[in-house]
Amino acid sequence: MSAHHPDDLTLLEYSAGSLGLAQALAVSVHLGYCLQCQSQLRKLNALGGVLLSETRPASVGANDDQIPERSDVQNESLDKGFEQLMARIGSEEPRAEAPTGTSVSKRYHNPLERYLPSSLDELDWQQQTREIAKYDLTNVVDMGSARITLQRIKAGAKVPVHTHRGNELTVVLKGGFSDELGVYHAGDYIARDPSHHHSPTALQNEDCICLTVLDAPMRFTGPLMRWLNPLLAWKA
Amino acid sequence: MLRTKAQSMSKTGPGNGEGPDWGELLGRVAHHGDTAAFRKVYDHFAPRIKAYAINQGMNQQAEELVQEVMTSVWRNADKYRDSLASASTWIFTITRNQRIDLLRKKGRTKAEMTVDTEELWQIPTEDTTIRSIEAGSTEKKMKESILELPEDQMIAVRKVYYEGKTHQEVAEELNVPLGTLKGRLRLSMKKLRVMLEATEL
Ligand SMILES: [Zn+2]
Ligand SMILES: [Zn+2]
Repeated sequence: MSAHHPDDLTLLEYSAGSLGLAQALAVSVHLGYCLQCQSQLRKLNALGGVLLSETRPASVGANDDQIPERSDVQNESLDKGFEQLMARIGSEEPRAEAPTGTSVSKRYHNPLERYLPSSLDELDWQQQTREIAKYDLTNVVDMGSARITLQRIKAGAKVPVHTHRGNELTVVLKGGFSDELGVYHAGDYIARDPSHHHSPTALQNEDCICLTVLDAPMRFTGPLMRWLNPLLAWKA
Repeated sequence: MLRTKAQSMSKTGPGNGEGPDWGELLGRVAHHGDTAAFRKVYDHFAPRIKAYAINQGMNQQAEELVQEVMTSVWRNADKYRDSLASASTWIFTITRNQRIDLLRKKGRTKAEMTVDTEELWQIPTEDTTIRSIEAGSTEKKMKESILELPEDQMIAVRKVYYEGKTHQEVAEELNVPLGTLKGRLRLSMKKLRVMLEATEL
């Protein structure tokens, strides 16, 4: 069970479907590890169900957004809409069964998994320094403008101190790391804003692999910044 | 707006003893391709899905959304489990996902792969044995709990959740500072959590 979760407002927006895709990806990866957030999300989805069932109905099959006064007119347009719908269902090939459901019960759940060419360990990692490697997913998956990467930090290694120009979301996939604010293990969801300086250090026992979602490039602030920056820059 | 108790409805949501048994109707759709049963589901939900689309500012695509969602309900009726969620919650999640899909179609990039919306919004572990008692009562309790929220919190939740507005937009609309709005949302989430947890025991 993870100890670090998306906050209530993030889950609210996730359930509402208004969270950005890349953020939703991070939340969704966390959910694979976290029963607590799964349960909270079921409740939030029920909120959506209630709001939907309690909403004032609009007229279907017509282009106005009001219910016509007379119920026979209303029914007529419902009839029309239903006819169109059934015609469409009849004319389209049934969609091929999506292969979902089977992977759901796996303990290690990562919606990115099926978009990766291999297991995490066998990815074509780009070495950034001797201790840090990355695998850039930004141009692989369609997630809007956010920078999406997997990062691998060698056991015990330290990432140079840096701040972010935007918000950084991290979900630990394997191993763990610590920074000034805490210790994080597989499944933990960590949100950092631009005001935050940190220098994560991987835990000693194994390499740490994280999913990182960044809505703007990160900026190194330590003395090594000048020469490290070009190497580690999250170039487009 | 949310209907209050005073504006009573002829058809209330499922799972509270009134109105049709949606689970049964969806079962007939799934196993017998029962058009009459599907029509009942359609009559209730299609106008609400359209209202949701309009609330989300998708007037142009409202009819399209209705058709997409109802097509998906027809095709996936066999996947509905009333032990996991009430029918309106299930249909809400389909509606939400299809709305995201419609919006994503507009903003496609050249990326090699598209991560399926449904996968991004899926709750992974669905253990039916734990959930069976919970699903119906969660929604019933949720309905009561929302009505117990102070009005300013209810409005904030509704605007963010149901109208898909950003915190900034809602704060401007309500003419309150962003911090105040976030405070209201947090408070309401805390209250809903407490009220719902009380029923789980
Ligand atoms: Zn969690
Ligand atoms: Zn960072």
